[in-house]
Amino acid sequence: MFILETKPKEELEKLLKPGVCVIKCIGCREISLPEEKIEELLKNLELDAKDVLAVDYLCNADFTKSRLLKYKSEIDKCNSILVFSCGVGLQVLAGMLEEKSAVQGLNTIYISGRGLAPSDYDCDQCGECLLNLTGGICPVTQCSKGLLNGPCGGAKNGKCEISKDLDCAWEKIYKKLEASGRLDSYFRKMKVRDYSKALAKPKQPV
Amino acid sequence: MVEIKKTGLKPKEEIIELLEGKNKIFVIACNKCYKEYTDETNEELDQFLKLMQENGKNVVGTARIDFLCNGQTAGKKISEFKNMDEAETICVVSCGIGAQTTMATLDGKPVYTVSDSLSIADNATTPQAYHGICIFGQKCAACGQCYLNFTGGICPIVECSKSLINGPCGGAKNGKCEISKEHDCAWEKIYERLSKQNRVQDFIFLQVNVNDFSKPTVEQTNALIKAVRDKRDENFYGGLHPYSNKDSTTDLPITAFPEPETVAILLSQHTGRICEPLVKAGEKVKYGQKIGEAGAPVSAPVHSSVSGEVIAVEPLLHPALKKEVPAIIIKSDGKNTPHESIVPNDPEKLPAEKLLEIIREKGIVGLGGAMFPTHIKLKPPKPVDILMINGCECEPYLTADERVIIERTEKVFSGIHIIAKILQVKKVYFAVEDHSQKAIAKIRDYIMQNPMEEDLSLVELKTKYPQGAERMLIKKITGREVPRGGLPFEVGVVVSNVGTCAAVSDAVREGMPLVKRVITVAGENIGKPGNYEVKIGTSVKDIIAYCSGSLSGFDFISYVLKMGGPMMGVQQQTLDVPVIKGTSGIVVFKKADIEQDIARQCIQCGRCVDVCPMELSPLHFIFCAKQEKWENTAAYNVKDCIECGCCDYICPSKLPIVEIVKKAKQKIK
Amino acid sequence: MKLTELIKKKNFVVTSEIGPPKGWQVEHHLDEAKKYFAGIVDAVNVTDNQSSVMRFGSLATCHMLKDRGMEPVFQVTCRDRNRLALQSDILSAAGLGIENLLLLTGDHPKLGDHPGSKPVFDLDSVSLTHAVRQMESGVDLAGNKLDGDPPKFCKGAVVSPCAEPLEPQLMKMEKKINAGTEFFQTQAVYEPEKFARFMEKIKGWNVPVLVGIVILKSVGMAKFMNENVAGVFVPDPLIEELRKDKEKTKSGQTGVEIAARLIKEMKSMCQGVHIMPLGWDQHVPAILDAAGL
Ligand code: SF4
Ligand code: SF4
Ligand code: SF4
Ligand code: SF4
Ligand code: SF4
Ligand code: SF4
Repeated sequence: MFILETKPKEELEKLLKPGVCVIKCIGCREISLPEEKIEELLKNLELDAKDVLAVDYLCNADFTKSRLLKYKSEIDKCNSILVFSCGVGLQVLAGMLEEKSAVQGLNTIYISGRGLAPSDYDCDQCGECLLNLTGGICPVTQCSKGLLNGPCGGAKNGKCEISKDLDCAWEKIYKKLEASGRLDSYFRKMKVRDYSKALAKPKQPV
Repeated sequence: MVEIKKTGLKPKEEIIELLEGKNKIFVIACNKCYKEYTDETNEELDQFLKLMQENGKNVVGTARIDFLCNGQTAGKKISEFKNMDEAETICVVSCGIGAQTTMATLDGKPVYTVSDSLSIADNATTPQAYHGICIFGQKCAACGQCYLNFTGGICPIVECSKSLINGPCGGAKNGKCEISKEHDCAWEKIYERLSKQNRVQDFIFLQVNVNDFSKPTVEQTNALIKAVRDKRDENFYGGLHPYSNKDSTTDLPITAFPEPETVAILLSQHTGRICEPLVKAGEKVKYGQKIGEAGAPVSAPVHSSVSGEVIAVEPLLHPALKKEVPAIIIKSDGKNTPHESIVPNDPEKLPAEKLLEIIREKGIVGLGGAMFPTHIKLKPPKPVDILMINGCECEPYLTADERVIIERTEKVFSGIHIIAKILQVKKVYFAVEDHSQKAIAKIRDYIMQNPMEEDLSLVELKTKYPQGAERMLIKKITGREVPRGGLPFEVGVVVSNVGTCAAVSDAVREGMPLVKRVITVAGENIGKPGNYEVKIGTSVKDIIAYCSGSLSGFDFISYVLKMGGPMMGVQQQTLDVPVIKGTSGIVVFKKADIEQDIARQCIQCGRCVDVCPMELSPLHFIFCAKQEKWENTAAYNVKDCIECGCCDYICPSKLPIVEIVKKAKQKIK
Repeated sequence: MKLTELIKKKNFVVTSEIGPPKGWQVEHHLDEAKKYFAGIVDAVNVTDNQSSVMRFGSLATCHMLKDRGMEPVFQVTCRDRNRLALQSDILSAAGLGIENLLLLTGDHPKLGDHPGSKPVFDLDSVSLTHAVRQMESGVDLAGNKLDGDPPKFCKGAVVSPCAEPLEPQLMKMEKKINAGTEFFQTQAVYEPEKFARFMEKIKGWNVPVLVGIVILKSVGMAKFMNENVAGVFVPDPLIEELRKDKEKTKSGQTGVEIAARLIKEMKSMCQGVHIMPLGWDQHVPAILDAAGL
């Protein structure tokens, strides 16, 4: 799950050559596309929001192929393509337009988890789910340090050391385990994360 | 499409150890997401059940749930499951989010997850990554500072095993990464791409890239998440925010559409029994004369919208029912000579019974689209205490109701008063979406200057589709929930559309039957968009000819025409259909823009579930349809679908869900 | 010498700590340490990029202290090294004759002077302790055999006796003991009653505890800690005391008096004291003097 934010104008100015074609992916606009911010940015870049080609689901290679045909004339004549999409969308597009420089107008921000809309719960696909030991509260995503063996000493007033906006995950876990009489489950194992379960796997076939 | 394995069962030994001494197991399995929806099996669940059997464990029940991570829909389903009380241990088969949602929902029970979520990233530094909504090859780790602009659109964070951002390490051999012969070196690919674009020099002289892991801060991210969540949860579960596209007509005053030469009055313009014609070919009729009526209680008579001569009574394609229905074709004499039955009344002097009788006699039906006879709605089987006026024109393009509120305020309020009197309610809510600020101001002014007998509150709602659906409005404003398959009166509410209020006023005060209505005409190739008052029975062909300038520019190969709004409107295959009482607009699109012909496979992305305001799982309809097992749609509550089109709109595979729903409803009737 | 052995021998040990500078010229700091600590305290902790601020290395400093005749305690955090680097550094410490380790999770980098850095936390204090115990048994964390004799260390960890709530701290403390922790140093304590309650709770665990003392430098510092530092609470009477005589506070005398008083009060409850002077090294001898140590 991700959320999008516009890149600073200065960063884009340097990359755009006159004759810009703007493509906006509206597939995720119900969830993560900052449309007002994009409009503002276009205005600052002195580009006309009316000329924006709105397409949905750039990440769908089949659709993107047909869209590129549909907008062929616009794309052929432009010098740079400014894309507003998540990182995946631009990669798909750039893969089809290898000779053109496609400029990404957005930063894609990770918000973990894989629900559909952002939810209260996150999961980082650690490959060795620990929820059984932690009363259903994920230490990997909810603890700022991803600690698996209990709290660090950094919490103050129940809040994590890095932000007063964040509850200390381990205090929550403790409370939950205590309330459900499962504190013993915590002592069962000393956990060391096995990153090989989450990382550097052979690539999945495309 | 790429198959992505998101979860796997934990190692057998771990599960056995976990469940040692535990019995009476209830299993909750997520139907999972992002995989081609081709069958309904769940491999991990089957494996788990087998394991339990082998180990002599007693499984008391299994529940399979769509999108366990969707707290709203899944939470409800979980609490509905039987056998759950019997269970001592609950096991979840799903990714970590589903497990967390279940554990939080069943707070009081010991819940264990028996699966591990698997990462889809292929790299050494960034375990997390996602794959867009359509699952092709590309992935993004959402690093927050996208580098694609310097790498020619190949992601160095995910594709490079070390997530290097300043060029390759020295590990690649024969174009393959040092960690696996399967893995192409990302930086060799990047180099190639950049050379093709002549951008290698740009890259060399670029500043040194240093990843900033502090950005964005938790506070920023949380704020973003909250904003999205708030928008999703606004007013009611599900729904969406389509582009409103109302600009072309919102400021255009209602104008009378040019008098048609002939009109075709369909004998079914209401929910209920079809009318019998009261006139024959060759007969002269007057403006407002009753020309069709059914004996049944649930029905509404139809009237002539012109004066002239009946030239035929013949079957004609119905624009909403999509089948032929008898219609009375009348050639207008252009005089609009009123019929004798059009006599004014003073509502204050008439009892409720008499008012209802007038409303029935004048053929008033709900103008919002459903065309339910108003006199039936206003005589609910049990008393109600709230009247809700629906001014939420949530469909894109349509502005007819807004114009009616602005220009015919007095009529609308007079209608409200009559309806409130009939229902004997004192509490009236007038709901309008915040995009119609002019209408809101108008209502506010009107209430200030014309104190009402009833206690009327103006409710300004944040714009969200399908707000105008009765259930959503009632839930939001009164907190009452209309039961599945039920009607608003069951929770003490009657909802009436603003146009209907104005029509009620006309019927009672002026004696005018429902023979014309305001519709919005807009969209592609419509040179004269507007809010027109048209006679019922006017041909769509006349309207397109007038609003597009000529008929030559329109064809069904490049255009799509819908009667109603773009979301819930009914797509037409011919222009030879008449305007009926429930027509709120005519909108035209370029076929290419709505890309109807690129439907793919359902990928279980869950978006349709996320937007369905009725909390259905629309994806199953597709599956049932594919297998021609229409009867199965009933189990997925196809009958509750209000055909709002949200699922169609959002589906990344462009599946025609509403079309299938309509078919299913007919098949299982 | 190992701290645990010292505790056995002396019943009560005194340790202090130094933070290496943000630069490479450490001579001056070592001279100061020699002046105020050598022969006065039993061992000296060396902090590891304390508060996530990048500094001169802890391992090198430990080695230099040892050369100058002091007993170092090598602090190791998990913030900025993965398990390879951590184990490698710990082996290096053994090679340099360092015997005492204090194994910590470490502050989040966001709190320090490189907030954009990638937080590591590959291991945490518990798993790091476990890794060291593994090495002591002749294999590394992954189970691969080490060449030659296994290293031998005295493994310490920290705990916050005044944290609210205390239970999660105790839970983790127990876990650390299970993983091999041999002694604990505490976060700064200003409330002897709370400390007494804490010691009561852990009585059965039979593990030596060195109570943490931070010299109070000013009213501002006390208030800041109350607001921001986890597990630390300076009671109002102490703040009053600091406020009363500005000159005395400024010169450090009030801080020294308070520290000495706290040590006296808590001495009988625990096995040692760990003084964190935070730059006021010069006051350490006076404190010990006043506390009668
Ligand atoms: S422990 Fe791992 S698998 Fe479980 S929810 Fe957290 S990140 Fe996901
Ligand atoms: S304060 Fe709590 S949440 Fe924050 S890093 Fe420490 S244990 Fe994790
Ligand atoms: S993300 Fe949601 S739908 Fe997908 S496996 Fe997890 S709980 Fe199920
Ligand atoms: S650089 Fe890669 S990980 Fe970062 S936002 Fe772009 S596509 Fe996503
Ligand atoms: S059309 Fe039916 S299934 Fe689709 S979102 Fe609307 S109510 Fe749900
Ligand atoms: S939105 Fe479309 S692709 Fe996604 S689950 Fe629903 S039907 Fe399937």
